[in-house]
Amino acid sequence: MSLRVSPWRALAPWLISLLVLLVIPMLVSGNGTFSIINLIAINIVFALSYNMLLGQGGMLSFGHAVFFGLGAYGAIHGMNLIGDAGYDGQGFWAHFPVYLLPLVGFATGALAALLVGWPFCRRAGTAFAMITLGLGELVAAGSQMFPTVFGGEAGVFSNRMVGPVWFGLELAQPADVYWFSAFWVLLAVFAMWAFTRTPLGRLSNAVRDNAERLQFIGYPPRNLRFLVFIAAGGFAGLGGGMAAVNYEIVTPESLGLLTSGLALLMAAVGGLGVFYGPIVGAILVTVMNSLLSDYTDASILYVGLVFLAVVMFAPSGLGGGIEQVRQAWRRGDLAAHLPGWLGGALAVVLIALGLVGTIELVYQLSHGRDKLAQVLGLQPDPSSPLVWLGVVALFAAGFGVARASKNYREARS
Amino acid sequence: MLKTLLSTLATTVLLVGTVSADTVRIALIDPLTGPMAAAGQSALDHLNFHARTINANGGINGDKIEIVGMDNKVNPQESLVQFQKAVDDGIRYVTQGMGSSVGSALLTAVNKHNARNPGKEVLYLNMAAVDPAFTNERCSFWHFRFDAHVDMKMNAMTSWIEGRDDIKKVYLINQDYSFGRAVAEAATRMLKEKRPDIEIVGQDFHPLAKVKDFTPYVSKIQSSGADAVITGNWGQDITLLVKAAADYGVDLPFLTYYGAMAGVVTQVGEAGVDRIYQVNEYYGDFDDPDMASQQVAMYEQTGWDYYWLRLSTMLDMLQKAAEKAGSTDPVQVAFAMEGLGVETPTGKVLMRKEDHQMQLPLFISVLKDDMKYGAEGTDFNFHKIAEISRDQVSLPTTCKMRRPDNA
Repeated sequence: MSLRVSPWRALAPWLISLLVLLVIPMLVSGNGTFSIINLIAINIVFALSYNMLLGQGGMLSFGHAVFFGLGAYGAIHGMNLIGDAGYDGQGFWAHFPVYLLPLVGFATGALAALLVGWPFCRRAGTAFAMITLGLGELVAAGSQMFPTVFGGEAGVFSNRMVGPVWFGLELAQPADVYWFSAFWVLLAVFAMWAFTRTPLGRLSNAVRDNAERLQFIGYPPRNLRFLVFIAAGGFAGLGGGMAAVNYEIVTPESLGLLTSGLALLMAAVGGLGVFYGPIVGAILVTVMNSLLSDYTDASILYVGLVFLAVVMFAPSGLGGGIEQVRQAWRRGDLAAHLPGWLGGALAVVLIALGLVGTIELVYQLSHGRDKLAQVLGLQPDPSSPLVWLGVVALFAAGFGVARASKNYREARS
Repeated sequence: MLKTLLSTLATTVLLVGTVSADTVRIALIDPLTGPMAAAGQSALDHLNFHARTINANGGINGDKIEIVGMDNKVNPQESLVQFQKAVDDGIRYVTQGMGSSVGSALLTAVNKHNARNPGKEVLYLNMAAVDPAFTNERCSFWHFRFDAHVDMKMNAMTSWIEGRDDIKKVYLINQDYSFGRAVAEAATRMLKEKRPDIEIVGQDFHPLAKVKDFTPYVSKIQSSGADAVITGNWGQDITLLVKAAADYGVDLPFLTYYGAMAGVVTQVGEAGVDRIYQVNEYYGDFDDPDMASQQVAMYEQTGWDYYWLRLSTMLDMLQKAAEKAGSTDPVQVAFAMEGLGVETPTGKVLMRKEDHQMQLPLFISVLKDDMKYGAEGTDFNFHKIAEISRDQVSLPTTCKMRRPDNA
């Protein structure tokens, strides 16, 4: 990778992303789809900001949602100020468009990280994880005590259709918010990618890999961690600001452990080692979270199983897998590897199908019929042994293919 | 190519949409999983039960009612996601009740949606989110409340306490959010007005749906020397509270808003007799033969009691209003609903035009053994001991309703 790549090569992913973002609204319709796409955009920013800490800086955080949530609160209070200022048209907020509120979120998140971060960054590893866990719980619990700021159980709500409108970009429907989300997600992803190319971004990798050596050559790891922590907090806040505009409501749940866990989940499923890994993870996890629950009661279980499978069998995540294929293609030996990999993928699919079948059948036995079976056009009867035989056959086929492809790969190498 | 495929798909969806246009779909956005699921599920089943009755009798202007349950996990943000899904699905009526925090989010969402999407208005039929603000300073043309709000219920409860000279010390325990705080505030204010001699010996706010063991709270109540407890708790918070009190041997009257909610009777049984009071539009005597037969049928079909009387009232009023308007368009229905009155098994109710707050009589009832119609398959149920008339329950409103132009 030490080779200088041509500028076109470097630009290609960005141009393709831009193109995809421009093409999406021509292909999809319906506010429901746009709602999910907007949520994906928010989660991409959130997951990538989390990976600045974990993947690049080596800091495992369980309290990242604090900055996401505070950014969201900052933005929603900003939105309320814009709304209030709209009556007399005076002052700073009267001229501040809602479109730029993610900047307020960024500032709030970065400021919060700046205020609390210094003591945390002395160590990475377990100490850092524990302290951030405490911070998350502290802020989530404390938020209930200040209902004027955090709105209590009901949260703070607002109206995004206020303030000056630029270029006729109104924010009425989810389809309008799409352009807002697309703009900010592209900007944020580019900024976070650029961050990895700065000396600070490079040094944060070094802190992760060998903090002691860095100390010897004159870079105090604590300072570096602190700077990365602030940047990650800022970008999480930016994501929070996008969420505030999208939902027009912020509740204390957004500060809590569940939201922090979501960031970890998305980043880990997507892959911590590759820059675009968390993007893949954010898309997959968001789609699973929002769509699967319409079809099956076991949706949360499936998300958990995916996480488990990735951590156990593919520690480099989905992004890591994609990267492996890409590298092989660049080296020109993709054809040699492909059959083995495809066999492995087929095995995963078969075993997954067997697992899904088992779970759905067990669910049917205990809870009555689920919708997933109807969607697949099947009406399996859990009392019939044939159905269970089918599940066993899927497992057997899966393990058989896994074994065969493993032998094949070993024979080739 | 892809575009043609997608547009074909879209047309198919649209066609399916027009086929089902002769159903009036109502989305129930409430907890259907998690700790508060019993409250949401029983409401969903009650709505379905009564919708079947209405559908069998000709439906709403010939259209069938369909209830669509949507799980919001009592989370305001999740509710907005579900609301968006409902709207995308072409649903024009939403109902919700569990939690004024959710109600508040939904109320703003409906107001915003209707302002931004003229011609696609949605009505919010509020069945139990009883924050008084919704029909006072935050009142909206798009919101109708079919339950008495906190102050009305407290008005009824304190009117009854007025005549109970044995109650001298009161303990307040409530959920820590807008609703619970409103109950505590109303109790303090109205007791001071009607019974200045009553002392409030303690006050607790506990987190919503998070407490698993109420024993510490109960022991505080015990040691405070209170001779009555007032609580607005609902869902598992009422079930576990009265259960902990029974286990701890606290023999005090519990004056509740939701003592008859699913689960309570099974959990406390004998220990709750003459101890759990509730103020509600519903009581367990079933002295109306029609309501009694509904109770029997509903328990048989769904396993729930006929607790959500107001849900039946709500669907009946919706049907009446649609009939009066000659349309199922939400705007027309809303105008027709204003000032509408219907007879219910427990008396005549009115939807007040000024604030869209239902005006209804309320009843104080207490848990008794050997009732003709037992709750939850037991012999226990709530026996009516006092009726507070519609006029006595009624409270003035500060609402200044803004209505759309009626075309």
